[in-house]
Amino acid sequence: MNRQRNEKPSRVAVVAAGVVSPLGAGLEATRRALREARDCISPVTRFSVAQCRCTTAGQVDDRWLAEVVPNDRKARRLHRVSRMMITALQELLAQAPDFRPDLVVVGTTSGGMSFGEQYYRALQQPDVQTRQVPSWIANYPPQKAAIDALEASGLAAPCQVIANACASGNNAIGHAFECIRSGRYERILAGGYDALSELVFVGFDSLQAATPEKCRPFDRQRSGLVLGEGGALLALETLELARARGADVLGEITGYGISTDNHHLTQPHPSGIGPRRAMERALASAGRAPNEIDYVNAHGTATPFNDAAEGRAIIELLGPVPVSSTKGMMGHSLGGAGAIEAVITLLALRHGLLPANLNFRAGDPDLALEIVANEPRTAGDARVALSNSFGFGGTNATIVLETPEDLAA
Amino acid sequence: MRLAGLGWVTPLGSTLDGVWEKLQAGESAAAKSLGQGPGEKGLEGFPVPQEVSAEASRHPRLRRSSAISRFAVVAGLAALHDAAVELDEASAGRTALVFAISNGGVIYTKRFFHEIVQSGAQTASPLLFPETVFNAPASHLAAILGITGASYTLVGDGAVGLLALRMAEDLMMVNPELDRCLVVGAEELDWLLCDAYRRWRLLRAAPPIAPFAQVAHGTILSEGAGAVLVAREGEAVEIEQIHPGGNFARQRELAGQLEAIARDLAPNDSVDLFLASANGTFIDAAERSVAAKHFPKAAVYTMKPAVGESVAASGIWQTICAVLALRRQELPPLLGIPKGFGLTTARKPPGEAWRRAVVSTCGLNQQVAALTLRI
Repeated sequence: MNRQRNEKPSRVAVVAAGVVSPLGAGLEATRRALREARDCISPVTRFSVAQCRCTTAGQVDDRWLAEVVPNDRKARRLHRVSRMMITALQELLAQAPDFRPDLVVVGTTSGGMSFGEQYYRALQQPDVQTRQVPSWIANYPPQKAAIDALEASGLAAPCQVIANACASGNNAIGHAFECIRSGRYERILAGGYDALSELVFVGFDSLQAATPEKCRPFDRQRSGLVLGEGGALLALETLELARARGADVLGEITGYGISTDNHHLTQPHPSGIGPRRAMERALASAGRAPNEIDYVNAHGTATPFNDAAEGRAIIELLGPVPVSSTKGMMGHSLGGAGAIEAVITLLALRHGLLPANLNFRAGDPDLALEIVANEPRTAGDARVALSNSFGFGGTNATIVLETPEDLAA
Repeated sequence: MRLAGLGWVTPLGSTLDGVWEKLQAGESAAAKSLGQGPGEKGLEGFPVPQEVSAEASRHPRLRRSSAISRFAVVAGLAALHDAAVELDEASAGRTALVFAISNGGVIYTKRFFHEIVQSGAQTASPLLFPETVFNAPASHLAAILGITGASYTLVGDGAVGLLALRMAEDLMMVNPELDRCLVVGAEELDWLLCDAYRRWRLLRAAPPIAPFAQVAHGTILSEGAGAVLVAREGEAVEIEQIHPGGNFARQRELAGQLEAIARDLAPNDSVDLFLASANGTFIDAAERSVAAKHFPKAAVYTMKPAVGESVAASGIWQTICAVLALRRQELPPLLGIPKGFGLTTARKPPGEAWRRAVVSTCGLNQQVAALTLRI
């Protein structure tokens, strides 16, 4: 911890991962859902959506969480986003029991927002039932899920919790990557999380960014996103240390690019300059040429503006390359998206199966993208991939993930 | 790393000299009743005087923004001005932005959700929602400054200001092409926030804040922003070390966590100033015991009785306060000091000049962080 900058940059290995998303809990469940191109979008059950245009979302089944969280008094008070992170961390530690992070860097947008909603609704009642209120307030802040997960697993590490809207998870992984590569830290736990909440759901609905139809990333008739939820964690470590202890290496993070597009609080510049800068910087960081990219896991929210800007940037920078957005399968999990999609991209490279871009019918005539449409595609030789996440506030983040030949133990 | 520029917006004003003079004179901010929620009595807080951010609200990007964004912009621009830095396209490209936020845009968040609760989702305003997002203030400031590279918003409790400084140091260390990083902590005040902290049993209804008291009576919330420009070169005050921080599971474990950080940071006889985050809650006892054990010769000061608890902004305010104390070799009077306090409250160096300060930030929700400054 707190070392000086390396003369020779460290390589950054992913030595373990844990994931909970609408696709399932765990790497294996996620892999199965991806292989089947499963549509995991369903009618929202957690709150009333009767007055919303959009009525569906990708939802995490609480039964997946209850199995692994002890049913004690404190656990009952935790927000379900904390339980998602506890579940993800337990999976990660099952793969790397000795992993002790110097630092935790995670991303989120709203943490336990639904506890804040419950508190506000309680205030509107003539006789406020106060017994649960302190617990809601104490467990509502966005950083709690990361701290709760550490505590439940007996780990202790300082936390940097990034709230860069929908790019948060990718920002967290990217910042963690840079910190290890420079030699400042040796092991970092990185990831992201978010749970569905009424306020955020209605927010996207009010902006008409959420669709009443299917989520169709990059489709000519795309009409908006559906929200999702979940979280994922990646154990990052210098490749040198990982090899020294004989760790199984899932993949390598080799590059990170961040950019800020000052065009508008909620809309990207139509030219795609923000996403393009993030991808250019990520390629430069990884020392990769555009034609070396085998796959792009796109942000691909299926909003008209996002997909146009991102698609344009991909075409102009990378040319023909297989592209898919997995949000058609599982929704957009905001602060969790970058981390979940990093895991999905690693699985794609490791197993040679590019995930499907669901609900795709016909491409936008202006966007000649090579979409992995509706079915996963075998790509045994795919080694280098980009994963994009962009968010409100004009924040854009791209990471480069690889499974180079020399990673074999 | 050096602290090249400072700026703040506080309930006592928004100029470095003006606020410092009021602190030196023993003034505290004027408390104001914040109205009331359903069935609740009024609660008091320390607001920022309206005129402070009036100029900022005329900026096109800030016309619809909440107070938190305006405070942040005023403080951020002041820190750049203090450092005599004018950003152009090239220098903005070598500048990063790190924001610290805890409660965030609570005013618009409450208004937005209130519409949902009272009238249904169909009436929720699409103009309000984007301003409820934690990184909205950072986005506004980045747009005004023309920053197109790294911009991060960190969330956390009262420790998040120093955690943001630590992240800024990380960014500078890992990116040699960065010349500087602007770190801003900001909060805004609303009765809802006060109600929440009161139900959480951490707030008292009205001032004063009684720091380091035997019995914790609670804090008073405030609002504003603090900004520091971290650079590779700059004025005489150096950030010697920023601890990456830690977490405590239970309130009774805070002192142990802070003690571990204190041990990492500094040998106990070399610290002249201890800038505490004491705010009238359980954290005061922890800081008092750690100061007594590890920094027995240090002069102790907390500015919370004068300006209130502004969570993410407070950590940056404390850092600015430490810089000003080292620069000017003076501390303001510690207000509300309890009988038998037992720690040093000297306002001037007793002999040799003050050279080293510890800034401690203990959050109310499990996070703790600290740093050392040297002149």
